[in-house]
Amino acid sequence: MEAQLLNWMIFIPSIAALVCLIVPSKEQAKSTALFATIVTLAINVFLTVRYYGNGFSGVAFESEALWIEGINVYYRTGVDGLSLPLVLLASALSVLIIMASWRIEKATKAYLALYLFLMTGMYGVFLALDLFLFYVFFEVSLLPMYFLIGVWGGPRKEYAAIKFFLFTLAGSICLLIVMLGLYFLTPKVPGGTGQNIWAMISSKPASEVLTLQSEPLREFFSQPQGSAASVDTGSENSLRQTAWTFAQWAFWLTFIAFAIKIPIAPLHTWLPDAHVEAPTPISMILAGVLLKMGGYALMRITYPFFPDAAVLFWIPVASIGVFSIIYGALCSLAQTDWKKLVAYSSVSHMGYVTLGIAVLTRTGFDGAYFQMIAHGITSAMMFFLVGVVYDRAHHREINRLGGLWLKWPGYGGWSLVGFFAGMGLPGLCGFIGEIMVLLGTFEAAAPGMVGASQAATVYTFGILAAFGVILTAGYILWMFQRVYMGNARPEYSDYEAVSGREYFVMGTLGLAAFVFGILPYLIFSMTMPTFDGLLNLFNTEPVAAMLGG
Amino acid sequence: MMPQIPTWEQMQPVMPEVWLVLGMCAVILVPFINRGSHVLPLFTALAGIVLALVATISVIGEPGQSVFHGMLAIDPFSQFFKVLLLLFTLFIVVLWLMTTRDETHVYDVPDYYCLLLGAVFGMALMASANNLLMIFIATETASLPSFALAGFRKRHQVATEGSLKYVVFGAASSAIMLYGMSLVYGMTGTLGLSGVAAAASQDFSPLLAIGLLAMFAGIAFKLSAVPLHFWCPDVFQGAPFEVTTFLSVASKGAAVALLLRILHNFGVQSGEAFVGMAVGVAILGGITATWGNLVAYHQTNIKRLLAYSSIAHAGYMIMAASLMVLVRTDSDPGLAASVAGAILFYLLVYLFMNLGAFTVAAVLARQTGNEDIRHYGGLINRSPMLTVLMSIFLLSLFGMPGLGGFMGKIYLMKAMAEVGGGAGMVLIALLLINTLISLYYYLRPVYFMVMVPDTESRPSVSTPGVGMAILTVCVIGVLWTGVLPGGPSNLSATYSDMTVAVPSTAQQGVSEAEVVAPVDAIDARSAQVVGDFP
Repeated sequence: MEAQLLNWMIFIPSIAALVCLIVPSKEQAKSTALFATIVTLAINVFLTVRYYGNGFSGVAFESEALWIEGINVYYRTGVDGLSLPLVLLASALSVLIIMASWRIEKATKAYLALYLFLMTGMYGVFLALDLFLFYVFFEVSLLPMYFLIGVWGGPRKEYAAIKFFLFTLAGSICLLIVMLGLYFLTPKVPGGTGQNIWAMISSKPASEVLTLQSEPLREFFSQPQGSAASVDTGSENSLRQTAWTFAQWAFWLTFIAFAIKIPIAPLHTWLPDAHVEAPTPISMILAGVLLKMGGYALMRITYPFFPDAAVLFWIPVASIGVFSIIYGALCSLAQTDWKKLVAYSSVSHMGYVTLGIAVLTRTGFDGAYFQMIAHGITSAMMFFLVGVVYDRAHHREINRLGGLWLKWPGYGGWSLVGFFAGMGLPGLCGFIGEIMVLLGTFEAAAPGMVGASQAATVYTFGILAAFGVILTAGYILWMFQRVYMGNARPEYSDYEAVSGREYFVMGTLGLAAFVFGILPYLIFSMTMPTFDGLLNLFNTEPVAAMLGG
Repeated sequence: MMPQIPTWEQMQPVMPEVWLVLGMCAVILVPFINRGSHVLPLFTALAGIVLALVATISVIGEPGQSVFHGMLAIDPFSQFFKVLLLLFTLFIVVLWLMTTRDETHVYDVPDYYCLLLGAVFGMALMASANNLLMIFIATETASLPSFALAGFRKRHQVATEGSLKYVVFGAASSAIMLYGMSLVYGMTGTLGLSGVAAAASQDFSPLLAIGLLAMFAGIAFKLSAVPLHFWCPDVFQGAPFEVTTFLSVASKGAAVALLLRILHNFGVQSGEAFVGMAVGVAILGGITATWGNLVAYHQTNIKRLLAYSSIAHAGYMIMAASLMVLVRTDSDPGLAASVAGAILFYLLVYLFMNLGAFTVAAVLARQTGNEDIRHYGGLINRSPMLTVLMSIFLLSLFGMPGLGGFMGKIYLMKAMAEVGGGAGMVLIALLLINTLISLYYYLRPVYFMVMVPDTESRPSVSTPGVGMAILTVCVIGVLWTGVLPGGPSNLSATYSDMTVAVPSTAQQGVSEAEVVAPVDAIDARSAQVVGDFP
């Protein structure tokens, strides 16, 4: 029954989207959307309770059906500790975002329908356990976003929308190349079934369902060992060599595919445009959930499928992470557009995710994952806080604002929570993620870890990333000073008061920032069993020795 | 030699073509019964098409055979293609009711249907042609009515220009093709495709290469492959909508089928030089796809945009077809089925999505009199249904997952990976890069329809029932092939079997000794070959 509920969760939003288009009035459409999001949230909470109540550790609530026979594609969905907290975040944010969208007047029904279709894509990405299905959802989620930015956005919406689409599509195409390579190579896996394998992970044993993470495949895509190579026959050896070369390419191609979504610094340029032009609720979902697809997919696909390549390339990936942290923070410092500042802060904060994954330590993974949840809460909140002012002032110039605290003390208080949580103040959720990633980075120099023989590199990464925290404090505090401090401006007198609905959205997010800041183990305990298995995949010692030697 | 009356067993395989010819004759004779009727020629033509369809379906499952001394190959592949072609022609007739019936003079209707059936007849032959002469005759039979159809709006300036370009290009490329065929015949001493391939595998001389290249030029013209594509946008723009749609799908499909059959014949033989041929065809496809996609960027006329899009799609299919040379068909029939099945599936999907896109454009042009996508502004408010449908078709042409175009590309790429190995990966990369490029221009009409407000308060557009029927079928087809591709792809793979063996005198005549026969021997045999024509 849970498996069916899981599938309902994916498709209820789509059904609700059709209902939204049919119902006569805008108000009914809004109620439908709100009801549908609450229902999915309820299902999600129920599934979470069942999952942990039954003490599952791996994949649970799996459903499986043959979808495309000729190429062995299955409709396979399920949930595990890696996806559950993110789905929970997505469904909780969805409710708040429908509330935040309450005052969208332009083509409300179409807006809600597209948003609900987007939710189907989002849930599908997180819950798909088949690579082909994942790809379909990954790409299908682009389309509603294109329209949501392009129709309901700001002045340069069309440019931002097509840029978003093209960048992400370029990433998807990298993923598609890897998928075709896997299609070509997986039937040749020794000890395999001779079939094409698309399953990413499964609750069933490897004897029943061979997945891309199971032993024969990981062995196949790992670096051929010197001793084993000499024993192998010639053709098998060359096949292993091909597989290893492919694994290295595939690692980078999938990394780029998902890093565009995260985004990493050189490939991030779609993000500020998309955020600045998107309406507030769409910025919230974009920063809150869609960016997490990238981090999730790294943990779900890139790293577990090609663990040896991950160990081999940890330095370049970590460098990209550190560069994103510093570059995003510096860009934020330079912005005068408030929303753009928040957008660049996303680049910086998501850099911690990349870094935390790259160093391949338990603390780093925990930190990266926590950072995704925390950033989902804080960035959604920050965009909402900006949106509240933008709705009234119709501009976002930091230098034309000031003294907002005196105008709305309550709003100022919640702003303090939101921005300081983003900044990483201890006691709020942003802090835990950053500090865990930093600790995890330094841990990489420990014996047996990936950077055991390169302590200097590890420390450099750690110190630079820690420096990013200072820059973050710099741009947040400076912005806070300019926007909230000082005397209220005369034009504020026309602005209507912050409504109860708005207080509810920011209050909920603010409370979540407190709760997860004080009780971080809520997340850690959810991911722990899954991460135990995940971290075992990385065989750091031989490659680390090779890098050092 | 006494004239021989063919038996039913001999005639049955070509009954579809016979029905089409009978339909052509009947539709021309119909005005003698009633001159002032739209309906009579329409139903006569429909009857011809339906009878041909029935005749095709009745023999579709049967194993392939060569008929008329190896002139035609009647095999599952050609039969499947004919079913697609005839079904598509039915749609075209229905579309005509919506688009040009009102502006066509009643006296012109029989002419129109005669030409249409003639073109279909030629295309059906193209899918079966197994002999150089037959290829030429089929191509010409398909082309000549198409020239006239393209210029059917006689007083329309663009149409006349397009038609003239079509004729001039067509004539030139026919001449080149015929010249190439004469060289091929001169070098190999046979007109049968399998004989040519067998001879070429023995001795691939430069002159033969030139001959084949010239022959491919003629097919490239029908495919509108770059650099022989210049007629395509002008013809598409000038022709009435249903003719444009017909040419974009049926004419290209037939040319792809023909190309596939020729390459398949070479694939049966093995020859080192054939790899070069495969590379050449693949490069032709790659250039065609890339060029079509890049030039489509600037188009504002929806017909020209879709014309360049169809050039790009032809390029994709040519790229995949090139693999057919590399498949050792006798030793690995599974791979041949993979390639041919992928292309048939692609044609099936392409039929739905292109027909759909052109139908929406036709509905819009019919009511607004405008084919410029910049005039689509605010269409989402005026007719949301058409906007959604057009977006679906364009996104399917682009290759959005969940829609047929995506699965079509997946199967093409699968075939490329299976057959081509490393070179296949290059083709895949090219296909994917082209997909990325194409996103921009496929979204341009969507951008105008959805995001640009209507500044001139244009009236809302209503869809005629006929158009709605076609669109419904198309959207169901696109979703069916996209969401549940298992069934249709199995179907196309089942019917991907092509016959090669040609039990004719021409084939038997080519023994190994005769391939290298001196010139006078070739002369002697050619007389025999010509004498044996039915």
